[in-house]
Amino acid sequence: MILTTLDRIDPAAFADRTGWAAKPQGLCRGEVCVPAPGSLRDDGTIDVEVAAARLGMPLVHDAEHDVWAVGPATATGRALSTAVAADPELIARDGSPFRLSSLHGRKVLLVAWSSY
Amino acid sequence: MPGWQALHAELEALGVTVVTVALDVVPEHTYQWIDVASPTHPSLIDTFHVTDDLFGFVNIPMAIWIDETGTIVRPAEGASIERSPLRDMEIPDGLPERMDRMFREVKKIPDDAEAYRAAVVDWAQRGASSPYVLTTDEVIARSQPRGDNEARAAACFELGEHLRRTVGPDAAVPWWREAHRLHPANWTYKRQAWTLVTTPEGATENDLMQGPNDVYVGNWLDDVIAAGGGEAYTVVPQLGG
Repeated sequence: MILTTLDRIDPAAFADRTGWAAKPQGLCRGEVCVPAPGSLRDDGTIDVEVAAARLGMPLVHDAEHDVWAVGPATATGRALSTAVAADPELIARDGSPFRLSSLHGRKVLLVAWSSY
Repeated sequence: MPGWQALHAELEALGVTVVTVALDVVPEHTYQWIDVASPTHPSLIDTFHVTDDLFGFVNIPMAIWIDETGTIVRPAEGASIERSPLRDMEIPDGLPERMDRMFREVKKIPDDAEAYRAAVVDWAQRGASSPYVLTTDEVIARSQPRGDNEARAAACFELGEHLRRTVGPDAAVPWWREAHRLHPANWTYKRQAWTLVTTPEGATENDLMQGPNDVYVGNWLDDVIAAGGGEAYTVVPQLGG
């Protein structure tokens, strides 16, 4: 997740990119919740430094351009911490947005390929 | 791509949708490959490689299986459904040394295409009763390893891509070098970067040899050999249980 500031991170944007949603019981992805006191500020924004520390997410900073990137969670030591499929916004060939959740009710074989 | 479109057409009536996602920072590079297949399945482009970190893709082709409830029932694994003609190609005499060695390593890449395709068809027909469907614990345990290095590599790759777009190609290089160092088993990070510097300007197709270059430490052939050769290049699907 790319950030140009560490302040006032929108929980919806954080959840959309990382898959981790702020809930009363902590930061949750699927059925998995990690207690994360302090990660949700009183103003409703995410304290990304606290949230990243709780989830084992690296924060990488490019000082020259003052841009941050938040890496994925390392809580389980595996790429998946839950079997609930993430639902990122991807783009179709015509440029329109597409989410895997639009296919709920069908089996999906998601195949990664490339032109290289 | 035509093979995936054919599989989609075959399985669509059984409730399976094939979704292809190109891990390409330059969408235009994918268009000729997509268009030749005339896909009726969702044909997507992931320009930040976010599916690498969200699902555990580290090479292509790889795939995950998602059931009707949105639950992953097989994690990211090698996903060929057609035997590559390169596997059976006779290597001609007299090739340049690196090309000869590259073909020899490609021929060593395990071929699970027939078994993998049969497993997908079995899942389409039998759904949750298919022996290839894994439990949630198995899915998580069989997903790709992710420690601090792998997670940091994902952040570095994404940061590099952001800077490539907003500042210029050179700004990506130090971050992509670091992503390669931290997660050498992620071939999409490496192949993506290499192809952008080894493909001649104006070429209609990306350079697939991705040879030695002045920008990155590695290259396809030397990195494959260092990682154990073609035999170790893919995440072999564990279809035997």
